[in-house]
Amino acid sequence: MSKQQVSERRFIALSLTPIVILFLVFSVIPIAIGTVLMFFDYSPLSNSIPFAGFKHIQELFSDKMFFKSLGVTFTFVIVAIPANIVVTLLIAMGINKIHDGFWKNSFRTLFFLPAIAPLAGSAVIWTTMFNADSGVVNMAFKLLGLPSVNWLTDPSTALLSVIIMTLWADIGYNIVLFMAGLDSIPESLYEAAELDGASKWHVFWSISLPMLSRTMLFVFIMTSISYFQMFPQFQIMTKGGPLHETYVLALNIYDQAFSFMNMSYASAMAFMMLIIILILTLIQMRIGRSQWEH
Amino acid sequence: MRTKKWDLPYILLFAALLIGSLVMFVPYLWMVLTSFKSNSEILTSSNHLLPQEPTLSGYRKVLGEVPFFRWFLNSLSTSAIVTVGAMFSSALAGYIFAKFRFRGKRLLFVVILATMMVPFQIVMVPTYIIISKLNLVNDLSAIVIPYLVSAFGIFLAKQFIEAIPNELIEAARMDGASEFRTFWSLVLPQIKPALSALAIFSFMASWNNYLWPLIILNEESKMTVPLALVFFNGQNVVNYNVVMSAAVLIMIPVVVIFLIFQKQFIKGLTMTGFK
Repeated sequence: MSKQQVSERRFIALSLTPIVILFLVFSVIPIAIGTVLMFFDYSPLSNSIPFAGFKHIQELFSDKMFFKSLGVTFTFVIVAIPANIVVTLLIAMGINKIHDGFWKNSFRTLFFLPAIAPLAGSAVIWTTMFNADSGVVNMAFKLLGLPSVNWLTDPSTALLSVIIMTLWADIGYNIVLFMAGLDSIPESLYEAAELDGASKWHVFWSISLPMLSRTMLFVFIMTSISYFQMFPQFQIMTKGGPLHETYVLALNIYDQAFSFMNMSYASAMAFMMLIIILILTLIQMRIGRSQWEH
Repeated sequence: MRTKKWDLPYILLFAALLIGSLVMFVPYLWMVLTSFKSNSEILTSSNHLLPQEPTLSGYRKVLGEVPFFRWFLNSLSTSAIVTVGAMFSSALAGYIFAKFRFRGKRLLFVVILATMMVPFQIVMVPTYIIISKLNLVNDLSAIVIPYLVSAFGIFLAKQFIEAIPNELIEAARMDGASEFRTFWSLVLPQIKPALSALAIFSFMASWNNYLWPLIILNEESKMTVPLALVFFNGQNVVNYNVVMSAAVLIMIPVVVIFLIFQKQFIKGLTMTGFK
């Protein structure tokens, strides 16, 4: 080995070793433990970790609360993700049509502002806004002559309230991403469509939307992954209630692991969550890829 | 743009966006206004948005009766260390993955990337076990050490460093610069935009993180700001004005910082496409 090679080797080893160790200890090993912990009976208080086989997975399938939280999670995701995408795409297209630079920037900033706030803080603020007696939402309802609603304590509106808060808190990200995606569509395509006399609706379906498919796929995958794991607003605004109508999987896992100390059982649930997210991501990528080739 | 006139559809669009962005702003307005109300006013007068008898009692309580400054400092110091650490380790690893060849490089990189896809719920229990074996429960380093490396950061840095011409790096070596020196004074300045984006994301992720501190920090003196907010909200008798005053004190600095760095932030977001 030349002197140059020796110093290169040494540099790689010295720099990469601490980084790889941190990755091993706080990412790779936890993932490995996380996928096998459900086959053991782990308790923080006991020294032995007996093998449990498929016990926790069987428990899972007879646990009504698991299925309840799975259902709540899916309802949340199925409502919130499409709502998020439609709203953010519309707003992004709207802002992109504003020709005054100052207003364009101001609108983007105002819509983005909530996205930088701590989610926990936003959840606390929205809890008081949704308060049935003193919250601003019911104040506005009263002004409009509408009856007051027990937003967070009525089982039929609790999840909706959290969805509204979630959309407020993070539509900014997708608006910015869609705006960038729309900006990158060549103007010449629109000009050609105009010459052909295409309708606005037609332009949207045959130019904007297909040209956005890359951004769309990315936005869909990132939003799905993050919405499946949403936690602070559920824990803070409703604590999963009323009647477990907002008891999402993330909250169920947290409770099992750190309130009831059933860490192995929590891991079994977390593993199910991983599988669901993986399957959904793969499906989205498959659909997305076939659209690109198109 | 093709048409530059204020026709009716344009006015309607403008009005809709204006109303929409004002609605987006309502929670902030609500937060500030409520923070100047007394608790009894919040609970009794449900018809007034504006404080009828403005008071600073909420702020006095936040700043006087609880270690708010301590919590603020906890958040600030841990987030700052995480940011610097993640920037440095990401750039260094990114450089090695982009410009060096060694055995197992591809596999290592793929493993690092794959960790990004795993939900936090999978790793939170094992990481808790590891941290407690290291005796770091209720220690602020527990919310620092795991975040000193960032898979996303490495990916981002690698993308940018790959664009630096190899000749430039070779030239530095010819001049007798050490490997680390080449990295520090040649590579780092070249990827400033990526690093500033990464800095903003790391800082915000750390400052806003809720679930992990909630799990690992239980002592009052060790809390970070998001935990503090919830602490006020979770007391038996909720003092709404105290909660709101704390929220104002936590949100306002973030908003100000954002408004200052807005350009870099938006650029970073669109450049990377990640949160």
